[in-house]
Amino acid sequence: MRLRMLLFCAAVSAVAIGKPITVPVVYYRLPNGLKVVISESHAAPTVTVAVYYGVGFRVEPKGRTGFAHLFEHMMFQGSANVKKMEHAKIVESNGGNLNGSTRLDFTNYYETLPSDRVETALWLESDRMRSLDVSEENLKNQKNVVSEEVRVNVLNQPYALFEWLDIWQNANQNWFNAHNFYGDLRDIEAAKLDEVRQFFKTYYAPNNAALAIAGDVNPDAVRAMVEKYFGDIPLQSVPERPDVSEPQQTKEIRLKQTDKLASVPALALGYHLPDQNSADYAPMVLLDLILQGDESSRFYQRLVKEKAISIDWSGGINFELGNEFDYDGPMLLVSRTTYKPGHSGDEILKEVDAIVLQVQQQGVTKKELTDAKVRFRSNFYDQLESTMGKAHLLATFALFHDDPAQINKVLDTIDAVTLDQLQSVARKYLVPENRTAIDRVPEKKEAK
Amino acid sequence: MRRFAHALLLALCVPAFGEQKTPPPPSPPRPIPWPAVTEKKLDNGLTVVMAPLASVPKITTELTFLAGRGTEYRTHPGVAQLAGRVLTEGTNGRTSRQLKEELRAIGGSMSVSVDDDATTITASALSEFSPQLFDLLGDVARHPAYAKSEVALARSNFASEIEEERSTPDFVAEEQLDKAIFGRHPYAFVVPEPTEIEKVTPEQLKAFAGARYVPNNAHLIIVGDFDPAAVYDQAQKAFGSWERRPLAAEATSLPTRRDKRQIYFVDRPSSVQSTIAIGALAMPRQSPDYMSLRTAHMIYGGAFYSRLTLNIREAKGYTYSPYSQVNLRRRSGSFSANAAVRNEVTGPTILEMLYELDRMRVAPVTKEELDAAKTYSIGGLSLELESQAGMASRINSIYTYDLARDFLQMFQTRLDALTPDDIQKAAAKYFDTYRGAIVVVGDYGQVKDQIAPFGDVVVVKH
Repeated sequence: MRLRMLLFCAAVSAVAIGKPITVPVVYYRLPNGLKVVISESHAAPTVTVAVYYGVGFRVEPKGRTGFAHLFEHMMFQGSANVKKMEHAKIVESNGGNLNGSTRLDFTNYYETLPSDRVETALWLESDRMRSLDVSEENLKNQKNVVSEEVRVNVLNQPYALFEWLDIWQNANQNWFNAHNFYGDLRDIEAAKLDEVRQFFKTYYAPNNAALAIAGDVNPDAVRAMVEKYFGDIPLQSVPERPDVSEPQQTKEIRLKQTDKLASVPALALGYHLPDQNSADYAPMVLLDLILQGDESSRFYQRLVKEKAISIDWSGGINFELGNEFDYDGPMLLVSRTTYKPGHSGDEILKEVDAIVLQVQQQGVTKKELTDAKVRFRSNFYDQLESTMGKAHLLATFALFHDDPAQINKVLDTIDAVTLDQLQSVARKYLVPENRTAIDRVPEKKEAK
Repeated sequence: MRRFAHALLLALCVPAFGEQKTPPPPSPPRPIPWPAVTEKKLDNGLTVVMAPLASVPKITTELTFLAGRGTEYRTHPGVAQLAGRVLTEGTNGRTSRQLKEELRAIGGSMSVSVDDDATTITASALSEFSPQLFDLLGDVARHPAYAKSEVALARSNFASEIEEERSTPDFVAEEQLDKAIFGRHPYAFVVPEPTEIEKVTPEQLKAFAGARYVPNNAHLIIVGDFDPAAVYDQAQKAFGSWERRPLAAEATSLPTRRDKRQIYFVDRPSSVQSTIAIGALAMPRQSPDYMSLRTAHMIYGGAFYSRLTLNIREAKGYTYSPYSQVNLRRRSGSFSANAAVRNEVTGPTILEMLYELDRMRVAPVTKEELDAAKTYSIGGLSLELESQAGMASRINSIYTYDLARDFLQMFQTRLDALTPDDIQKAAAKYFDTYRGAIVVVGDYGQVKDQIAPFGDVVVVKH
C-alpha cells in the first residue's frame, strides 16, 4: 500500500519514520503446478520477469560436477521457436538486459525490460520451459565456454574462490554439499547430450519452478498473459530430493594451501549454521552483522584497525552465493580476509576466538543490537529496490517456502531478536569444533 | 488504465492454448519519465542537485571533487588516492571508529572512489536519518583529520592491496593498456608503486585536501525518498559555511596518438589463460562523437548479442565473457576490446577481435543492428534510473563531464538521429588498432609464437 501511495503522491511524499515498507504480493499456482508471484510497483517504468527452477548445483548428478551450471548455459542455446542467441537478441533489442545463474538450490533466468515489454519476456521464458532445443554442436560449444568461465573465475585467479569452493568442500561430508560446485574440467568435458535432455525433463518442469514478475505492471493483465503462455505446459514427475543433510561436525578442520598466483596471504573460515527455520536463525543473522557486517564491526575493528593484521575483511551467510534466505539445505557462515605477509592465519583465528569468547561471556551491547537491526533493514531495502532484487526474494520465498508474502515478515522477525538470543547462538555455533579454516599462502617464488 | 485494457485485449484475441511461434508484438514504447532534477548553487560555489526517487525509503548522495588520481602524480604519486582513502578514517571531531558506528546507527554507508577525473564520496542512509547523514558527510568533507596512525595504516594497506591487485590478470591488463594508450599523460597513472606510498606524509594529504576538497570545486548529487525542502536545508547547514578557495588551473595537456601498433606482453608464468586487451586512444566525454562511438561499441562488444560475443564465444567457444568498453574522461578517453582465452587459442582470438574491429571500420552496420542497439541503449538508460545509486551516478556524470543539462532528455533524440554511416565513421576513427596497443597478460613461454604475427612485442616483467 505504501508503494502505491508514493506513486501517486511522489512530489509531496512525507517520509515515514522507521515504518517498514510493504511489498504487494499476488501469489497463486497454475494447475500444472507453476508457482506465480506478481508484485506491482511503479517507481520506475521497468519490469523483471524471472523464472526460478528448483535445482541447483547442490543436487547435480554425481560424477558430473558443474553440470547444473553447464545446463544453465544450454538454456540459452535455443528452444522450439527461439533459435540459439535469439533470446538475447530479442530481449536486448527490446531494451532489456538478461542473465541466468546457478546457485546452491536454484537456477534462475531473468530479464529486466521496459515494462511495456513484459509479454515478450513471458513468451520467451515459456518457450524454453516448454521446449529446450539442443544439439551436439551447441553442447560442444558451451562446454568450451563454461571451461573458459572456470578458468577466468577460478583457475587463472589468485585464491581461486577458495572462500566458497574450498571451504564448502572441506567443511562438509555429504557429497551434495562437499563437491566442486563450479565443476572439474574433466566432468564438464564428459557431459553428454542425452544427459542434458534428461536433466531438462527431470527438473525443468512447471511444477518445479517459480515465476516472479515484479515492477510496473497491472497484476490482472499479467495474470492473463501467464495463463496464456504457461498454462498448458505439462507437469512432470519430479524425483524426490536426495538427503542433503549434514552430520554434526565434531572437530575443528584446519588446512593450509599454497597459491601459485597470489602474492598476499589470505584466510577463509566457515561455521555451520542452524536451520533457516529454527529460532536460532534470526539471531545468527544479526550476530553476523555485529561481527562482520561493516567497518564498525567487531572483526573489522580488531583485525584491520587495532591489530593491523588483516588488510580487509568480508563475509556473511551464503557468502558470494546469495543471501540469508535464498537456499534450502545446510549453510555456512563464512569470513574471508587477506592479511599482511609476516603474520599467520593462526594469529587471526586466535583473535577471532577472543572476540567470540567476549560475546559468549558478556553478550553484545544493547546499542549494537539496535544498530544491527537498523543495518539489516537498510541492507534489506537495498535488495528490495530494484525489480530484480524484489523478484529474486519473491521467487525464492515461493520456491522454498511456498510463501512469498514472507518478504513482508522478515523485518518483524529480525526486530524480535533479543540480547540473550545473540549470546546463546554465539555459544552454540561459534565454537572451533564447528569451524573449518583454510590458510592460503603464496607459493615461494624465486627472487625476481 | 489504458495499458490494462490493451493487455487484456491481447489475451482475449489469441487462443489461450498451444504454443505461440513468434514473439508477441510489443506495445508502443512508453516515454521514460526523466527525473525531476533541481539544481541550486550555494554562495560558496557548491552545486547542489536533487532528484526524488521513492524506490525505497533511503537517500543516496554523491559529493564529487574534480581531483583525479593523476593529480600531482609526478611529484607525489598516490597522494590523491590516499587523501581520498583516509577521508573516512576520522575528522577533527570524530575518530574513525565513531564515524563508522554513527553510520551503522543510521543504516548508512560511506565510501570514497578516486578515478581519472574525480574524487567522489558516496554516502547513503535510511531516509529518516538524512539530517545525520548530511552532518557526517559535511564533517568528513570539511574536517578530515589525517591522523598520523590512520595515514600509516592506510599507506600500508594500500601498498598491500596494490600487490594483491597486481596478482589478478584483469588489473594488470588494464594498467598496462592505460600506460600504453596515454603515455606521459596523467591518465596513464593507475596506482603508485608500493614503495612510493611510504613517502606520502599526513601534511601532504592535508595540503592536498585543503586545496582540492573545496566547495567551488565540487558538486553534490542527492537522490532518493526525501522532502526536497528539508533536505536542501540539511545540505545548506552542512556545507553553507564552507569557504571557497582559489583553485589551481586544471591541467590541459592532451595525450598523443601512437604512431603504430605495439604489443605489450606481461609475462605471468602459470597462467592458464591469456588475458587480452586491445585498445586505442579515443576522445573526451564531451565530444560530439559520443553517441556514435557509444553505439558502435554496443554493436561490436557492448551488448550480449554483439558481434564479438557471437563470434569468439558462441561460434568458436574461445572465451566466456568478451566485451568492449568506452572509457571517456574530461580531457581524453579510450576504447578497448577484451577477452580471456585458453592459451592455445590466443593468436586465433586476437585475429578475430581485430577482424571484427576492422569489419566495423570498412562496412556499414545493418539497419537491424543499429535499431537494436538504439533500443538497447535507451532501455539500458531507463534501467539505470531504477535505483537511487544508478540515478545518482548518471546525474553525476552530467556534472563531472560538464555535459548539457538536458543530456538525459535529449538522449533519445540524438540516438534516433544516428545512421549506419555515423557508426562506420566513429569506428573508422576510434577502433584504430593500427595506432593502438595490444596487451596480453599470460604465460609468455607458452603463447609467444602466437603473438608474433601481430606486430612488435615488448615483454614486460610481471
